[in-house]
Amino acid sequence: MNSVQIEQKSYEMPPREGISIAHFLTVADIERSARYYEKVFGARILSLGDGNAPGYLQLANIWMILNVGGGPTPDKPTVTLSVPDPNHINSFMNFRVADIKACYELWKSRGAKFITEPIPKYGETRCYIRDPDGYIIEVGQSTPEFKYG
Amino acid sequence: MSVQIEQKSYEMPPRDGFTITLFITVADINRSAEFYEKVFGGRILSRGDSKGASGHIQIANTWLIVNVGGGPTPDKPRTTLSVLDDPDKVSSFMNIRVADIQACYKLWKSRGAQFITEPISKYGEIRCYIRDPDGYIIEVGQSTDLT
Repeated sequence: MNSVQIEQKSYEMPPREGISIAHFLTVADIERSARYYEKVFGARILSLGDGNAPGYLQLANIWMILNVGGGPTPDKPTVTLSVPDPNHINSFMNFRVADIKACYELWKSRGAKFITEPIPKYGETRCYIRDPDGYIIEVGQSTPEFKYG
Repeated sequence: MSVQIEQKSYEMPPRDGFTITLFITVADINRSAEFYEKVFGGRILSRGDSKGASGHIQIANTWLIVNVGGGPTPDKPRTTLSVLDDPDKVSSFMNIRVADIQACYKLWKSRGAQFITEPISKYGEIRCYIRDPDGYIIEVGQSTDLT
């Protein structure tokens, strides 16, 4: 499908050896989300699903897997998947950027809904986007002396 | 540290463009960093600091950023970050696609990963789930309809 290389190790999806990491989002509408990530961030749509399979995107160094929610499955018999409560968040995609002003302007021009403009804080300048399902996406630029801010 | 995909290079922090990481709210940065290091061979780059910086772990083609929860901030004034209230109500999760799920299941289990079930065959894949130390599910899946 495509490949990622890190320190001489190559990552593919699906992997022929080892592992490749994707991020799964429960969404209300696979195509709506896929088109959003394509338009705003330049993701490549690999699959829109087939009514039974999830959508697959490649974006920067990761893959995204999108599917609608659902009840328990044999391999997770107590777990229910649903779109998020937008104000009570546990985990999110965090886009680390080289130029936050440029990303803010570009992504906003493509329809991204930012909660605020970029705001300086300890170790970084940061802002957040709400995606079509209400997920937050952090956009952050570390300050130069702060490698892992 | 850099990642390359089709002639484009990704770094952390990036010198151009952007690099995607996954943030998870955790109860204990060190405990989570050590779990992802021990089980999956992640590399701990930072354990955060006393002023609130996050822990950073490089793992396969991405990075995990872990930090404790907290109330609203000026850049997200209505959003609260917390560990899972209910580990059975899930919206998003890390999905590890693997080449050999039986090998990963045995190896990661031997390193202390808590699997919900053994790998189970379903439509197009064989799949199982891990609970991490905070109760997050991690999907482990091997596609079977390779084209």
